[in-house]
Amino acid sequence: MRDVGAPALMSFRDLTRRKSRPVPEAFGPPLRSNKRLKEILGRHYFLSRYVPGAKKVAWVTSGAPVELLRAFDFYTIYPENHSALVGAKKNGAEYCSIAESDGFSQDLCSYARIDLGHMLSGKSPAGKLPRPDLLFCSNNICQTVIYWYKTIAHELNIPLIHFDAPFVSTKQSEADVRYMAQQLLDMIPILEQVSGNVFYLNDFETILSRSQETSQTWGTILQTMRAKPAPMTIFDAFGHLAPIVSLRGLPVAHDYYNILLEELEERVALGIGAITEERYRLIWDNIAVWYKVRFLATFFAERKMNFVTATYTNAWAETTCHLDVKDPWSSMAKTYGQIILNNNLKHRMGLMRDMIKNFEVDGMVMHSTRSCKPYSVGQFDLRRALGAELNLPAVIIDADIADERVWSEQQIQTRLEAFCETLEDAAHV
Amino acid sequence: MIPNRSEYLKQQALQGQKIMGVLPALYPKELLWAFDILPAEIWDPPGDIVKANRHLQTTICPIVKQSLEFILTEPGIVNAGYLFPHTCDSLQNLGSQVKDMIGVPVPVYTFYNPKGNFNKATRAYYGDILNEFLQVLADVHGPPDIEKLRAACELGLKIDGRRIELQQARMTDRLSLNSQQYFQLIRAAEFMQPVDYLYLLNQVEIQDEPLKSHAIRFLISGILPPNDMTLSFLDDLGIGIVAEDLLAGSRRIPIATLDPPADPIEYLTDRFFLLPPCSTKAGSLDHRQQYLKKLASDSKAQAVLFNIVKFCEPELFDHRSLVKSLKNEGLPVLSLETELLPGLSGQTQTRIEAIVEMMGDEVLA
Repeated sequence: MRDVGAPALMSFRDLTRRKSRPVPEAFGPPLRSNKRLKEILGRHYFLSRYVPGAKKVAWVTSGAPVELLRAFDFYTIYPENHSALVGAKKNGAEYCSIAESDGFSQDLCSYARIDLGHMLSGKSPAGKLPRPDLLFCSNNICQTVIYWYKTIAHELNIPLIHFDAPFVSTKQSEADVRYMAQQLLDMIPILEQVSGNVFYLNDFETILSRSQETSQTWGTILQTMRAKPAPMTIFDAFGHLAPIVSLRGLPVAHDYYNILLEELEERVALGIGAITEERYRLIWDNIAVWYKVRFLATFFAERKMNFVTATYTNAWAETTCHLDVKDPWSSMAKTYGQIILNNNLKHRMGLMRDMIKNFEVDGMVMHSTRSCKPYSVGQFDLRRALGAELNLPAVIIDADIADERVWSEQQIQTRLEAFCETLEDAAHV
Repeated sequence: MIPNRSEYLKQQALQGQKIMGVLPALYPKELLWAFDILPAEIWDPPGDIVKANRHLQTTICPIVKQSLEFILTEPGIVNAGYLFPHTCDSLQNLGSQVKDMIGVPVPVYTFYNPKGNFNKATRAYYGDILNEFLQVLADVHGPPDIEKLRAACELGLKIDGRRIELQQARMTDRLSLNSQQYFQLIRAAEFMQPVDYLYLLNQVEIQDEPLKSHAIRFLISGILPPNDMTLSFLDDLGIGIVAEDLLAGSRRIPIATLDPPADPIEYLTDRFFLLPPCSTKAGSLDHRQQYLKKLASDSKAQAVLFNIVKFCEPELFDHRSLVKSLKNEGLPVLSLETELLPGLSGQTQTRIEAIVEMMGDEVLA
């Protein structure tokens, strides 16, 4: 879609916004790429308002094989990304309450409740989201998305395509791969019908290839954080994750990550760290606490602690190695079927062990979130096992990804302070 | 006479019976029977949750927590392993937790149940899963005897057929069992030998003519029936649960009687795809709404009781739409949330009495 006027309109809108808050002294210089990231995401949501009638709109889950949709030129919206945005703006409780007052339980995932609150009220910090023509979800990140999307499909009376990704209890079987590949092939006529566009394998291969390169670049970006000091914090990465989640397969994401990588490599070469003094290096497990990113980033930076890796950000780079443009269907099944949340805890433990070693991590913070069962169930045992094996100080904080009502500041701060003391004591032994 | 679950399983173990602990909910029990394994299902074992709290957060559903508590404290009756069918995110991870992190002295198996709207690919895949599971069992227990498997399917078919007859009889007031007795009968399937269970089912008399109708007729939906004390309270109030849509109950019985099994794998595949709509299979909400409305209509239910297990995401997502749709049909709805604790809370009692009072005028009118 042509975006004539969109950047100009967006910069005009920026004039009316309040200035951003000053950066605390504990942080290094902010990334130049932040500005470009805001432009890209702002443009994406801005253009989405004018999409209906020009393109078909699909709402998609973060782990779904979106490359297939790109081949049909769908404009994609990621409700999870939108819910994170609502959470980051500390509006999660408001949207959740709308869903709850309409009968949805407070015990449901807050991403889902926010999205359902949006669906029921039309509210959005992005102005307005376009009504979907199609829903596309995969349970490779959780079963929750199926229940959530089928609710939307029912309410809006629109088609839902579900990509069933069998959980990898031990290893992915040939039958699993065959089943997933067949599902992808079976989607083509449905997607042709909904989009009105014809499927061309060559175009699809180009998209797939671009997506693979983008994911690989994202992986390289994360690897730059092995440097000491790390050129960005994981809290920066949580923000820079957005394009790989929601614009994967598009040139804009591909180009953006090359810019970001260049900047990070430059910072590594110049020894510029994300925080002014990096004495301890940490790993983060689970999705971000979106409404407390700034609090957590500052809390740790002031104690000279930097999060240099996370299981969450790694998820969009971890399985790209399986992608093979010459064997798209089976390789997509392998890529999308084996991601961290669709894989057993032994796999996750191995992954975390490698990350802890490769990134020279001194301590671990696990966010136990009531919204995400596949991420949270098992964390107690992972903590014990990794702590014992690697002699790694660790803490678990109870919170939620986007519903700020769950946050208990005093309790969490006390736990984190105790963790920091343990970490410092361990370093002095 | 329904045997006590714990005593029955102890006796079975003493007799050298292979027993496998099976977590909720959908699995091909006929395959286990064919290997002379008795599945003992673990849904809501009694007792306080102590050890499981070291492994699970407070916001995890009580079925998962109580199951883990059972596994951690089990006295050695389960000797042939644990089976974790793929039901929800929490049970999925619990399976991996028990197998990969905690460790138990018996094998841990998993069984994937496909999700979503089913098609030809799903059907082919389910056949593959059955064959893979058969092979996994064969690796431990020796090669499968196809005739034995066929016989197990035939036995399962007879049990399903009798269960359907009893369901129909319940809906038309031709069973003399109260709700507490009825659900004890249904739940005996979770631990009894199939031959014993079929015998038990056949002992239940179906009357030719309807007995006196209940004062108020309820359809129940959810994962498990309410506990005995709640059921007894409902019975005392004259509330008859005339139909059920429970995961531990009729959602595991096909909606139609199948042909006798020629090819066991084909038969078990057909059986899976003929199960009623269920939140854990994540099919369409429309389908489930229609199914529940029909069940309410066929059973002449006057109200619907949702017995929701706390933190159960699959049920909680469907719940809101189902309630709206049933209310639109003019059916009063009572939703109870349970943490699987014994007893009957004052609050639950009051809520049940309130709906009875509200309906009382209409029923009497």
